Amino acid sequence: MATAMGAAGQSEWEVAVPEKPLKDKTYFENLKAKVIDTNLCSRCLTCAAICPGGITVVGNKVDFPDYETKCLDCGACVRVCPRFVYEPKSGLGDYIEFIAGRSKRFAGQDGAMVTELLVSALEMGMIDRGLFAGRDEKWATEMFHVREPEQLAITTLGGTKYTFADVLPALKEAVGFTKRGVGIVGTPCIVSGVRKLQQEYPIFRERVKLVVGLFCTENFHYGDISKFLQEKGVDFSKLIKTDITKGKFIATMSDGEKVKFKIKEVEEIVASGCGVCTDFTAVESDASVGSVGSEKGFSTVVVREEPAKKVIDFIKEKEHADFGEAKPEELDYLINLKKGREKNINSDAASS
Amino acid sequence: MKMKSMKKVVGPEYNLGDKIKTNVYAVGVAMQESVYPHTATVFYPRERKKMPDNFRGFILFDPDKCISCFNCSFVCPANAIRMKEAPNKRYYPTVDYGRCIFCHFCIDSCSGGALKATKIHDVAYKDMDAMFTPTEEMIELPEIIREDKKYVEYEIKEDDLHLKRTKGEDYLFVEVPPPKEIPMVSTCIDPGSCIGCRVCADVCEHGAISASVEDGGTLRMKIDTDECTGCGLCVKECSMQILMLNKLERE
Repeated sequence: MATAMGAAGQSEWEVAVPEKPLKDKTYFENLKAKVIDTNLCSRCLTCAAICPGGITVVGNKVDFPDYETKCLDCGACVRVCPRFVYEPKSGLGDYIEFIAGRSKRFAGQDGAMVTELLVSALEMGMIDRGLFAGRDEKWATEMFHVREPEQLAITTLGGTKYTFADVLPALKEAVGFTKRGVGIVGTPCIVSGVRKLQQEYPIFRERVKLVVGLFCTENFHYGDISKFLQEKGVDFSKLIKTDITKGKFIATMSDGEKVKFKIKEVEEIVASGCGVCTDFTAVESDASVGSVGSEKGFSTVVVREEPAKKVIDFIKEKEHADFGEAKPEELDYLINLKKGREKNINSDAASS
Repeated sequence: MKMKSMKKVVGPEYNLGDKIKTNVYAVGVAMQESVYPHTATVFYPRERKKMPDNFRGFILFDPDKCISCFNCSFVCPANAIRMKEAPNKRYYPTVDYGRCIFCHFCIDSCSGGALKATKIHDVAYKDMDAMFTPTEEMIELPEIIREDKKYVEYEIKEDDLHLKRTKGEDYLFVEVPPPKEIPMVSTCIDPGSCIGCRVCADVCEHGAISASVEDGGTLRMKIDTDECTGCGLCVKECSMQILMLNKLERE
């Protein structure tokens, strides 16, 4: 009898098949009924990253045009969706260190600490690929695999985008290419998606080495926010930066002009999935970064896990950044604001 | 500006004996060439130069061995190879000889050994469109009118190039026995990361991969190593990249 032997591979294996709440439908139809149609979907694109049939079409809104014919009914989407069995997380969580930092090398949203963390991890050799979201000339997001710090000459890589990016499909690609590990940055929903992928599949557990979360209150679909900004008279060819600070949305142009309006005006176009999200600080990340809680020009860095601690120690040793005090209590208002959204989840679950 | 005085080049001076000697030698060479000409030209098509086996010529194709892996069309540096759908729903290569540079990378890359080299270098076409060769015309050798009675080999004698002519027709195609195959089978290197999509089982042409759902909600995947030919299609299609070809070890 012939068998393939050795540690190199196995010719027989088992896969656990997840349970179907709706027995006579495919897994994707289950997901559609429970997550997408109930507006629970956060557009994290974890399902698009894992789907072997490629049924997800990513545009302004995520769409599934051929799911009836292309779905292979494998159950991967149900296994990885962070909101199929939704366990809302909130609060600040446990952390090792709570500091404010400002990069000496890069320019970003505030202290450019996300860029600094990923580039330092690249220089340490912890990862060989960092995933960054950049912008094209129409202000839409596109993903970049950064392998050398010199690639950050693309100026659109730094700074917060306030638009959904296709981070997780790019992660799947990067995981296939990587030799050492991948570093990723994302909103709390993307971080939950990565953790769910890591929980289910060893390939992600071994190869995703650094997960940086962002403080996030809500996010916008590209089509909605671009239409809104155009109505306000913003010219995308001149726009260099967008900010949300102290209840105001500020768009800065290259000639120094600023367009400001109150955050209440954009509430109408907030993505539906954000209405049920209670996680402000990306509790599950290795380190989360945001502007709240530190002085102007600094980023607050919440170091939660050992890999991120190593990177921060590397930055301190090489003196790539200035560090200062950060105040955890300043985050309380937004943490509580997002925690208040828990009531939306229950009412949705009751109505469905 | 004053020109420098020019210097006359004076040839060597021969005495009478040397002159007679060189002239007699020249007449001797002329007579030898008139009887047995010492040309460096091949009289094509009555003669044909003998090339090494399978030297950069027309490409032959065996559809039975093709696994439609598209490697030939990916590797082609001149974009001469295009995959076209055949009536049996399989994709087979076609070659545009208007683009082909005869590098034979396609033959080197062919994983099933379906593409074969010949040393046919003189195929004539009426126009550029005719140079596009569909799969059907690649299966058999093209029609050739042989006028050659001799084949020519070059050889170097006494630091001079000589042509060695031999009577008879040179063969244009020789079947090179394929290298000894190392039996390979597909194996799963990371069963935990399998998402159970069954694409590998669907794509396998030999029915070597089976997927069956057992009671209790587990999917049992099995690669039959006796059926698996190691073609690598499942390795290519696996979306998680967890299948790998390994050497088959017999117990």
